[in-house]
Amino acid sequence: MTKLTLKNFDQETSKEEKEIKNWVKVGMSTCGIAAGADVVMETIKKAVKENGLDIKVIKTGCVGKCYAEPLVEVKVENMPQVMYGKVDADIANLIIQQHIIGKKLLNDCIYLVAVKDGKNG
Amino acid sequence: MGKYKKIIMIKDTNTGNRTSRIYDLFLNSLRERGLEDDVQVVRVADINFYNKGVVARILPDNITYVKIEESDIDRIVRISIVKDDTVKDLLVDPKDKQMRIVLRNCGIIDPESIDDYLKFDGYKGLKKVLEENNRDKVIEELKISGLCGRGGGGFPTWMKWNFAKSQQTDTKFIICNGDEGDPGAYMDRSVLEGDPHSVIEGMIIAAFAIGAKKGYLYIRAEYPLAISRVEMAIEQAHQKGLLGKNILGTDFSFDLGIRLGAGAFVCGEETALIASIEGKRGCPSPRPPYPTINGLWGKPTVINNVETLANIAQILLNGGKRFSNIGTEKCAGTKVFALTGKVKNSSLIEIPMGITLKEIIYDIGGGVLNNKKIKAVQTGGPSGGVIPEEFFDTCIDYEGLQKLGSIMGSGGMIVMDEDDCMVDIAKFYLKFCVDESCGKCAPCRIGGKQMLDLLTDISEGRASCDHVDQLKRISKAMQKASLCGLGQTASNPVLTTLKYFEEEYKEHIVDRRCKSGKCELLFIYEIIEDKCKHCGLCQKKCPVDAIDGDRDNGFMINQEKCVKCGQCFDVCKFEAISR
Ligand SMILES: Cc1cc2nc3c(=O)[nH]c(=O)nc-3n(C[C@H](O)[C@H](O)[C@H](O)COP(=O)(O)O)c2cc1C
Repeated sequence: MTKLTLKNFDQETSKEEKEIKNWVKVGMSTCGIAAGADVVMETIKKAVKENGLDIKVIKTGCVGKCYAEPLVEVKVENMPQVMYGKVDADIANLIIQQHIIGKKLLNDCIYLVAVKDGKNG
Repeated sequence: MGKYKKIIMIKDTNTGNRTSRIYDLFLNSLRERGLEDDVQVVRVADINFYNKGVVARILPDNITYVKIEESDIDRIVRISIVKDDTVKDLLVDPKDKQMRIVLRNCGIIDPESIDDYLKFDGYKGLKKVLEENNRDKVIEELKISGLCGRGGGGFPTWMKWNFAKSQQTDTKFIICNGDEGDPGAYMDRSVLEGDPHSVIEGMIIAAFAIGAKKGYLYIRAEYPLAISRVEMAIEQAHQKGLLGKNILGTDFSFDLGIRLGAGAFVCGEETALIASIEGKRGCPSPRPPYPTINGLWGKPTVINNVETLANIAQILLNGGKRFSNIGTEKCAGTKVFALTGKVKNSSLIEIPMGITLKEIIYDIGGGVLNNKKIKAVQTGGPSGGVIPEEFFDTCIDYEGLQKLGSIMGSGGMIVMDEDDCMVDIAKFYLKFCVDESCGKCAPCRIGGKQMLDLLTDISEGRASCDHVDQLKRISKAMQKASLCGLGQTASNPVLTTLKYFEEEYKEHIVDRRCKSGKCELLFIYEIIEDKCKHCGLCQKKCPVDAIDGDRDNGFMINQEKCVKCGQCFDVCKFEAISR
């Protein structure tokens, strides 16, 4: 790994990586794992592989919707970015089949998030 | 945002019952216009509005309508979908109550990847600081920002750093306090697990500012995942040249280590924490001298809370001015709370200072669970107090909460309803402090125990009115004479419940009754004959077959068998069971 310096910092950290167009994020902090996020993670990874999907599966920390764990956020091309809550293995499979492959949102599982980004505003 | 076909999200935010009906009506309306393949209607579980009737959000336009009636549906489809216009009278502008600085990356980045953190402005604050190479300027920015410690005390961070900076010695330390022992609090854990680099970056900046070469993260051993992610983050930071010798190629060097706490609450107190790192018993010592003068191994030491440190990089990157504009004039920035208890949406939230408890409980928390009546919120854990409903308009800042006899604390916020007994709550927190007292000073060791005995008398029906006076007297002594914050504040939950719920104490003492059904010796469940409709639900529900009778002759609770679980009380639709 190249060490960062004051000189190379901007160059090294802004390397144009191909933007990830399709991703699934699973909240994997203690809270999520306690609610079953590890099973959800495995299910999604397996389904992505089996279906040969071009999707990056990412492990994240907790977004804070404790009451709706395990949480899975999905962004695929031509679809809005949404957060699914109380996900189990069955819902995880539905997310793959219906949302990611079928391009239709699932009923009764979406939890909208509304937070302002204090970084930029 | 990419292009996609229109989506109508809907949810009945009152009872949830009308969601399906409205869903069908939207589908019909679309079908009539032949739009069913162009627009998707979707029922959602949470639309971020509560008690606003049926709410719809239209994407990708991001338009939100509230209080929708069945008769509005055709209009919405005609105007908002077909014409791409808006239905003005139903339109609302969703105002986000939350604002994220500390939790900026939590749930967004992969906490185990430094590259992910770097992509989201990671270590840019540090880079700027090292480029400018001006320690006074760091302190000055912090001063402008108005950042105060988030670990409970609320001491201005710049001052603390400045004390340590002005000490003329080669060896200084920076410590991150990740002990987090308050019942119901998990803010710091979430930050350490979700975005460990943000804390590390804050520590490196602090070290540069005060002139420390070594720092420690003190994390409780009950947080194994947090510990492993921080370990990983430290390792990655080393590889990238962000920790160790010659950080970012400059002549500034700094390293970090982790020290584990064994889960003693008192070890969160700074002098006890230092003793614990030194390998001694985790007992506090008198201050002054403060750790900034005489801290770890006798050297100047800055101890900051996890959340305080997670703010630092953002402040230095964007300037103190911008931070000071967030929140209120006296109290800048945001605060993370762990909102739990009898609230619908238990969540980890970050709000700008100055919003009210009401906004937190109803607009973010979605209101009280099971439509029970709310009684109070508890903030500040065992050092804090309860705040009754009439003060829910209070703005959240250090002063506002203190005026009510509570404190901001580190950020636990527990909602309590009619089933929570205030004597029981006071007893719970006091018991916690008695268990966690290190025993070094007499006021805390003895006073705590005496108060607990008095409260136990009250909750078991053996008390007289003298008990209340005694409680108040001992509280005063403990506040004045205890060695550390634990003993000084241990009586806060008792004093605030006494202040706001004196009636409830009286009921326990004089009437020997606990209406909330918590103090077991002070209530029984009974069926009120006049109100009973003989439905038999309570009998079905009773787990110990303590309800005799049948639907013809009515029912009675057999007190000898009753275990006071309260299931009959909760299940009765006619309020025919008293306690
Ligand atoms: C009994 C007791 C427990 C404490 N526990 C914690 C804790 O878990 N985490 C924390 O950051 N501060 C805790 N504090 C406060 C610390 O002593 C100290 O004020 C704080 O870490 C300073 O950091 P800040 O200025 O960034 O808030 C506790 C204080 C007392 C008296």
